[in-house]
Amino acid sequence: MLVLLFILFAGLAIGCAIAVVAQRNPLYCAISLIGVFISLACLYVMLAAPFIAAVQVIVYAGAIMVLVVFVIMLLNVEQEERRRSRLGFLVPVAVVLAAILIAEATFIIWFVDRSPVRTLSNVSDTGLTSSIGSALLTKYLLPFEITSILLLMAIVGAMTLARRIKEIPPGAAVVPGAQVLPLHMFDPTIALDDTRAVEAHGSDEVAEVLGVPDDHDPTKRD
Amino acid sequence: MDWATILDIALKFVAITIAFTVVLLIVAYTVLAERRVLAFIQGRLGPNRVGYGGMLQPFADLLKFILKEDIVPDKSTRFIYFLAPVIATMAALMTMIVYPFGPETRIPLINVTLPLSIARFDVALLYVLGVTSVGVYGIMLAGWSSNNKYSLMGGLRSSAQMISYELALGLSLIGVVLLAGTLDLQKIVEMQSGWHGFKWFVFFQPLGFIIYIIAAIAETNRVPFDLPEAETELVAGFHTEYSAMKFALFFLAEYINMFTVSMLAATLFWGGWNVPFIDLVFARGSFMFGFLSILGFLFKVCVFLFAYIWIRGTLPRFRFDQLMNFGWKFLLPVALLNIFLTATILTFFDVI
Repeated sequence: MLVLLFILFAGLAIGCAIAVVAQRNPLYCAISLIGVFISLACLYVMLAAPFIAAVQVIVYAGAIMVLVVFVIMLLNVEQEERRRSRLGFLVPVAVVLAAILIAEATFIIWFVDRSPVRTLSNVSDTGLTSSIGSALLTKYLLPFEITSILLLMAIVGAMTLARRIKEIPPGAAVVPGAQVLPLHMFDPTIALDDTRAVEAHGSDEVAEVLGVPDDHDPTKRD
Repeated sequence: MDWATILDIALKFVAITIAFTVVLLIVAYTVLAERRVLAFIQGRLGPNRVGYGGMLQPFADLLKFILKEDIVPDKSTRFIYFLAPVIATMAALMTMIVYPFGPETRIPLINVTLPLSIARFDVALLYVLGVTSVGVYGIMLAGWSSNNKYSLMGGLRSSAQMISYELALGLSLIGVVLLAGTLDLQKIVEMQSGWHGFKWFVFFQPLGFIIYIIAAIAETNRVPFDLPEAETELVAGFHTEYSAMKFALFFLAEYINMFTVSMLAATLFWGGWNVPFIDLVFARGSFMFGFLSILGFLFKVCVFLFAYIWIRGTLPRFRFDQLMNFGWKFLLPVALLNIFLTATILTFFDVI
């Protein structure tokens, strides 16, 4: 029974993984990737690691892939055309890497087969939520904290990139509808006839920079 | 396989069938209740002609959905267009298996003690959150594959809204998890059986409960958070191009989602199957105790469903920027504050 389920989910995972690379439509690729994540979660459940399985579905299938699909839909990415490969020289490298990977996997399987069998006790709390929680907050506290600082840095970085007021070189093409302000509005030391300008994001930012009430936001209108 | 295993599987099968039938019947009658209650709020009569007081209306609706012509838009992406309602309904139904409908009960006639729930596992709460987040794809893909700009806008709005409010929803549950110390829904309900079945977590987590209810309404795309299908702006949102049975599946998914979200609220905050003071009359584990527990649980769920309908009849719709501001700048910080308060109090006082 367990073997049958393993074959089912492993086959599903491999099939979906192949579809991720083989499909030409980016949305189909994304859906196949969701399939991979969900079949992996099923395999985790069979390995008695329900917490990892649930987190796999929540984080990867539920959050990250939603964002990916969101971006694909928002940008309306066209079907990728089959083009002449510019990076053809990478094909032999890929073959060599795949050969190494297969050799490693074979070696591991062979090695595990040869090693003396260790029987684990039937009752184990590894993989249960409470054991993972206490391990994260005691034994692995430092890696856990460092990881969270890394994530925080990523968030701050993304915010900085998104909020930056860009300076536009003279004569540059600007997206229609963008708010463009002359630079001397921000910096009084710049001469009035300076043609340099900056691009702001949204009327609220312009209003904030200029220190005037924002007429475009009905919630802030008096 | 021996006979005990086969009997076990057969009993599970019967339990699953009964649970799903009852739940789907209640869902069908929620639709009728919604129409009647809305009509009452708006000073109308509502559907009252099919059967006694309109009691057969859900089946008439179903018959109509089946008999309608199924129109598929010419320029739609066929496969995904068919897949989307299936994903939505499946994800909605899948969360139902973890809820405990009642305590372990001895069934008379066959003399077997059964837990009155379909499945039990360690991470039931995370499972619910995970499956709910997969349900977003149904709406997103429906919006994209219809090849209609209103559908697409509805799908995009819905996914943005669900991602935003999922955070507040998940964080509002952490208070309960801190109190209970487990993610297992059955243990969480067991912990609320103190004080003769009245030790509900809502008394310890009032703030968490309010945040959960608000976020849950947003998660199920209901008024006042129904921007994905705002008919004044987007025709019908993500299901504009869907007709007949495929539309019915989206409709069903929405009401099942309402039902499961109400079940989660009842389980985590309102004591689950705990009916106050019946342990004074019936022994725990007896048939009557189990029966009344199930009735009590379903009654709590129905109270939440009624509140849903009441809110729909009362409140106007949000604007999209209000929705986003409310979710990110108010609900999320308040949910974090709730976690902080709960953790601090639990550290210094022995509340539970």
